Amino acid sequence: MLVTRRTMLGLAMAAGAAMVAAPPAVAADDIVIGGSIPMTGVFAFAGVGIHAGIGDYVKIVNDAGGIKGRKIKYVYEDTGYKVDASVAAFQKLTSQEKPNFYYGDSTGFSKTINPELERNGNILMAGASFASELNDPQKYPYQFMAGPDYTAMFGVLLRYIQKTQPGAKVAFVHSDTEFGRDPIKPSTALAASLGLKVVETIVTPPGSVDVSTEVLKLRRADPDFTIFHGYVLAPIPEFITQARQMNMKSRFMGTFWSMDHSMVMKLGDVGEGFMGVMPYRYYYDTDPKAPMLAKIRQMRPEYQSTAYMQGFVTAMLFVEAAKRCVESGKELNGKNLKGCLNGIKDFDTGGLFGVPITVSGNSIPVGRVYRADMKAKTMVPVSDWIKAE
Amino acid sequence: MRIGAARQTYAADEALFETTVQRAWFAGLLAALVAFPFMADAYWLYLACLVAINVASATGLNILTGYTGLVSLGQAAFMGIGAYTVAVLEIRFGTPFLLNLVAAGLLAAAGGILVGIPSLRVKGLYLAIATIAASFILHFVFANWTSVTNGVTGLSMPPARLFGVALDTSFRMYWLIVPVTVLMVMGAANLFRTRIGRAFIAIRDRDISAEVLGIPLLRYKLMSFALSSFYAGVAGGLWAYFFRVVTPESFPLVMSIFYLAAIIVGGMGTILGPILGAAFMTMVPEVLKLGVGWLSPWVPDAVALLSPVRTIVFGALIVGFLVFEPQGLAEIWRRVRRFFHLWPFKT
Repeated sequence: MLVTRRTMLGLAMAAGAAMVAAPPAVAADDIVIGGSIPMTGVFAFAGVGIHAGIGDYVKIVNDAGGIKGRKIKYVYEDTGYKVDASVAAFQKLTSQEKPNFYYGDSTGFSKTINPELERNGNILMAGASFASELNDPQKYPYQFMAGPDYTAMFGVLLRYIQKTQPGAKVAFVHSDTEFGRDPIKPSTALAASLGLKVVETIVTPPGSVDVSTEVLKLRRADPDFTIFHGYVLAPIPEFITQARQMNMKSRFMGTFWSMDHSMVMKLGDVGEGFMGVMPYRYYYDTDPKAPMLAKIRQMRPEYQSTAYMQGFVTAMLFVEAAKRCVESGKELNGKNLKGCLNGIKDFDTGGLFGVPITVSGNSIPVGRVYRADMKAKTMVPVSDWIKAE
Repeated sequence: MRIGAARQTYAADEALFETTVQRAWFAGLLAALVAFPFMADAYWLYLACLVAINVASATGLNILTGYTGLVSLGQAAFMGIGAYTVAVLEIRFGTPFLLNLVAAGLLAAAGGILVGIPSLRVKGLYLAIATIAASFILHFVFANWTSVTNGVTGLSMPPARLFGVALDTSFRMYWLIVPVTVLMVMGAANLFRTRIGRAFIAIRDRDISAEVLGIPLLRYKLMSFALSSFYAGVAGGLWAYFFRVVTPESFPLVMSIFYLAAIIVGGMGTILGPILGAAFMTMVPEVLKLGVGWLSPWVPDAVALLSPVRTIVFGALIVGFLVFEPQGLAEIWRRVRRFFHLWPFKT
């Protein structure tokens, strides 16, 4: 059959119309978690894990009967890690599904959607961002983060440094982005108050490759510890490789998004001893105090990233807030859900956080320092769980 | 030429709409635009606003690139100037939004003139690189002029207000964004009925010949840059009112590439091109998402599995258009219209 342009146009229009007409389906008493999830784009490595984490926890709760018989429904859209696409997903899901909770994929989205959250008043939101700016319950009343903000992450690292080497010289290397600059100013002040010397602050473009001049700067400063922030991988391997070639003795550290096991292992031999802050236990942690990890390993025998843990814990906190509201007979709106979330005290996450957690504001300022053991190919804890307040 | 549309005056020759039927269709389009918000939900209204903002900016770029032949990759940065202007005026002075939008356009136009100065010496790819440099400089200014732009954190602004009503939803913003965009597109359409617009086209077709004809190149090239940036500035201002958060990362280089792609896909050097191109580039990813969602009942976790495929399909569609329809979507539209001009006598 000859396919003419007109036939193609007709087929395309018919397909388009069929797609637009796809019906949504949600039971009236379902508790809905919506999500703008970056399944594609630069943040897809995390988005895929976050999606699996949220989905798995929702499945666990539903398999156990839901919340007083009410099922949890998880609906999401891919955003490609673009703010306008994230907002489109939010508008679409809020129009069709009336979510009670929402997972946002970036700081930009969290800030952009905040006025809409306040106007809507029915949604409690968390997300992939640990931006310090969002940790303000006055400015962001319907949001929280399932872990410490970036400033608190630096706080955990700096407290660890102070304990292991008082008066140490510290350097900060961060990307020239909102993400990269986030904790630098308050952390410089905190370092001074802890008696640590910040000897150098280096700014690079995100994902830069040639960092030879920056490494020379770092060498001149000769820090005992160098903390990277605002990167996922590049330029961290290049920095460490060149620094090792120059016989620098500095110990290198990272924050949450550069601390996934698979990311650190990509550093290869130069990554030996790389340290960083992590609010959750790693997938392979067999501590008997972490039964939830055993359950996760049972569901998914292959390694799950720290992004998975973040999604899983976020869903757990969503469900816990909903549970508390449902049990106390409160309406599920943003204000009540936030109130119920903030009522969580000494809550056991099944060992995902190493200590019982309390959600007093918009964050959970707890973390632990891990070190890479390249021979054993694992991240090994080198500190106890540290509170950054 | 259409049957039954004999032109007997120069005015008729220059008219935007040749026949009463065209005018009726245009009135129908305007009526549909007015009716749309009352029928669409928040999601479609949001997309309509986004498309309208992109149409405004793409139309501006089309004046510069499509009609004057000057390639620019600085459109997003000029939108940034507009967005920051609006945000600063709204936050610090609380001036009326229409004034802020005009100021956004004028300031962006001034920026455009500055960036356009090298255009007398460099053309084509070289000019594209010069405009990229300008966008990096502007990004640096946005990120580091902390006292005005609030640095990398950016500015969060209150909504525009009209007679005490806050324009804080897509429904309300629609009534600001779409009329402004319609005005801007009409302005662009009229521009090419004037000496200025025709001078732009002459410069695009052969700049030396244009100069021989008495068109001062620098003046007109800068005018084209100023107009294009004015459009970008106003579009940026609308963007700021729509999203209400402006950060240096809001206007990345890839956004300029998006607009360039939009006018190429839509059809450069036509008024319809940027409209169709911006709508295509904004809507196709969303329609593909709907398609993926539509498969959900049959493919478990379709969104997770098919999202990467979706981006490949989007890329393939763009390549397909460039290969099979280099004149852009506007040409397809023209072909469809031609078909109906003679229908049912010739099919």
